[in-house]
Amino acid sequence: MRAFRALQSGGRLVFVAAALLSGQAFGQSTFAGVWNAGYFEDWPDRFPGPELGDYAGLPLNASDRARASSWNATILSLPDYQCRVHPSDYANSFADIRMWHEIDTKTQQLVAIHLQHFAWSTQRTFWMDSRPHPPEFAEHTSMGFSTGEWVGNNLKVTTTHLKEGWLRRNGVARSDAATVTEHFVRHGNHLTWNVFVQDAKYLEEPFFRNRDYTLAETGAIGAYPCESVVEVLLPEEGYFPHYLPGENPFLIEYARNHKIPSEAAMGGAATMYPEYKKKLAALPQP
Amino acid sequence: MKKHFLAALLAALGSVGFSVASQAQQDFAAGEIRSLQVRDNVYMLVGAGGNITMQVKDEGILLVDTQFAPLSEKIVAAIRKISDKPIHYIVNTHHHGDHTGGNANLRAVGTTVSGGNMAGAIRDSGVGAAIVAHENVLLRLSSATGPQAVPSGGWPTSTFFGKKKELYYNDEGIEIIHVPAAHTDGDSIVFFRQSDVISAGDVFGTTSYPVIDIPGGGSYAGIVSALERLVDIIIPVYGQDGGTLVIPGHGRLSNLGDVLNYREMVIVVRDRMQGMIDAGMTLEQVKAAKPTQDYDPVYGSTTGFWTTDRFIEAAYRSLSNPPEDAP
Amino acid sequence: MKTVRRYPLVVAAVVATTALSALLVSPSSAQPRPAQPPRSARESAPIDLTGQWVSIVTEDWRFRMVTPPQGDYPGAAMTPAGAAIAAAWDPAKDEAAGNECKAYGAAAIMRVPGRVRISWRDDSTLEIQTDAGRQVRTLHFGNVAVAAEATWQGVSRAAWIPHGGGFGRPVTNGSLKVVTTQMREGYLRKNGVPYSASTVLTEYFDILAEPDGSQWLVVKSIVEDPTYHTAPPITSSNFRKQPDRSGWDPQPCLAR
Repeated sequence: MRAFRALQSGGRLVFVAAALLSGQAFGQSTFAGVWNAGYFEDWPDRFPGPELGDYAGLPLNASDRARASSWNATILSLPDYQCRVHPSDYANSFADIRMWHEIDTKTQQLVAIHLQHFAWSTQRTFWMDSRPHPPEFAEHTSMGFSTGEWVGNNLKVTTTHLKEGWLRRNGVARSDAATVTEHFVRHGNHLTWNVFVQDAKYLEEPFFRNRDYTLAETGAIGAYPCESVVEVLLPEEGYFPHYLPGENPFLIEYARNHKIPSEAAMGGAATMYPEYKKKLAALPQP
Repeated sequence: MKKHFLAALLAALGSVGFSVASQAQQDFAAGEIRSLQVRDNVYMLVGAGGNITMQVKDEGILLVDTQFAPLSEKIVAAIRKISDKPIHYIVNTHHHGDHTGGNANLRAVGTTVSGGNMAGAIRDSGVGAAIVAHENVLLRLSSATGPQAVPSGGWPTSTFFGKKKELYYNDEGIEIIHVPAAHTDGDSIVFFRQSDVISAGDVFGTTSYPVIDIPGGGSYAGIVSALERLVDIIIPVYGQDGGTLVIPGHGRLSNLGDVLNYREMVIVVRDRMQGMIDAGMTLEQVKAAKPTQDYDPVYGSTTGFWTTDRFIEAAYRSLSNPPEDAP
Repeated sequence: MKTVRRYPLVVAAVVATTALSALLVSPSSAQPRPAQPPRSARESAPIDLTGQWVSIVTEDWRFRMVTPPQGDYPGAAMTPAGAAIAAAWDPAKDEAAGNECKAYGAAAIMRVPGRVRISWRDDSTLEIQTDAGRQVRTLHFGNVAVAAEATWQGVSRAAWIPHGGGFGRPVTNGSLKVVTTQMREGYLRKNGVPYSASTVLTEYFDILAEPDGSQWLVVKSIVEDPTYHTAPPITSSNFRKQPDRSGWDPQPCLAR
């Protein structure tokens, strides 16, 4: 009887070991929790907001520059625009997030990873079950359609079906044809959220940017209710606030305030590279 | 009377030319019809012509628009993959051939409903689906002659004038709302109230600048007004996503954000060009000033039927001489 | 059976171990292997950091591509001591004292726009050269002696973080972790935002592959310096791999 029980114990040990070995989540990160955004990087751009005419370091093309130059902040007073949310590739520029994993309770397979932004309470789903993206004529949304895969312990997310959005919230547009690839990289209690935007319509080159987060030991993210109201009496039909070409008086604001050459402030792929520092020295001050 | 008739005939010919030109550039043999379920009872069929909306439930099938005639067989096949119910109604958003070319074929495979608020003559039973449109659609289609003639089997069988026509079909109210002098003078947008879906026809799209068929009674001001009407109807879930969905005449399934982005482009370009026109600039000067530069990557084209240049020409003409009946 | 009755737990452990080995060991490796020497850091690298990388400056542009004016340091949560240092920033004094490289120390150098060349000096030492400021960082795997005095680049201890591995599973990716101490007091930003000599700098080097075929090096820097900062300044600096060594442009440190 003791012999039989000994063999049974050995068998149970094997079973436990095999169960440990079989987990698909073995070696992959978990991103569950509330993550506090760090603001040492790009604080002025992210918190108070970018200044008008600040496109430095963005690889925008001439069309996007023209688009940004006509942007008028009065847009945000229009009821239809007051609750317009940050698109998913910009949302990490502002505030904390919460992430959680969705597990199939029967198979313990990871079905999806969810992310909620504090900003506008928008939610994203990263499908981890290899499902295909919808056809190109399906609805585009502010969050887009995302699928994820593991690259080692890093989470790589591919997002399509994004509605037109922005790279910076002073009018620098990102088109609805863009594809966004993100890498979530966790080291201990630190998370780096890397965003790679490919947008041949509005960018000279792909755009790469990241944001840093720290795991919150306690806490949650707050709700962000938004209700549209009429704040200012504006024409109700046939009206959209914008500046005519050459008539935006604020485009010089950033360059003048920070003594940066206007050409540099207007951005372009060249402004991303270290050799541009030499060119800066030779450009006229505003 | 004769003078007015000739003017209308010439305008109709010029307008039908819009759809003939677009049809001429299509390769139908290779075309396929793909479907997307929009809501429980509403589907979007996408092919070479304008998007088709299909509403289907226990009573039968209602279609909005019918694309090109050579695609009818493929369209019917796509419909039959979804439902084998009879086609009772075809609603046309306007008269262009990429939206009405399949009228005769699809009407023929359908059956007429008699009774209710759409009572037709009993003798019409069995001669096919009803084709519903604004009366200007009938005028345009029936006026075309010669190689551009449209067979009478493809003409609307039930028309309306005034602001709108209402249907109740498949357990929901359907508003067929006339938006005057927009893409053409016979435009309607179709609002499925329960499904919360709008078929916008060509007053809204995601693939090009607005097509203003001036010979067909369209105008820039009417496009703006039609878009405002769309925005009025749409209620999103949150943040311009979801809620009322819009099936454009061409392009992808859309929501409020897409309509607002399109409206933004239409108004911004209008304001720029109007300022140039008021300053006395010629068409060539306006083109050289590139009033659409920032939107060209998204909506512009240098090839195909509706190029950026063609849009600027039409916009220039319409803004310089707005029609009297423009909104 | 007599053995089983007398030593049931031992037998159970043997059964389990044998079965586990069968799970882990493929038939081809069923033969006992000779003892292998430990692999060097170079051999065991889960990612290849070597090559030339160029800064892509899409963040903090006006703090990196130009020298911001004194007092312009939004986002820097400094202690009173740190703020006093920043307020007293005087590039002329730094030049006079030979401290032009104060903004090119280890805690800041990866944020300075430029190109870096990463190579193996030997099997356990990675070297990072920068053309901006002509700096050299030495990353030691394994034991490294305490330096006699603090330097701009300090002493860096490196270790691989493999993803996967263990229980016979393959290593599928990885990161490099570097901890640097013994740095001279320097500047995180050119206009005098300081870090102290007691700073502990922790960095993570990751490589990301993008759909257009490009490779990106992301260097995450966590500057723990309670002397001058109320919260650790954290940045992630981005580099794109170059197919060649073009653009290398060694420049001296500049205090302004």
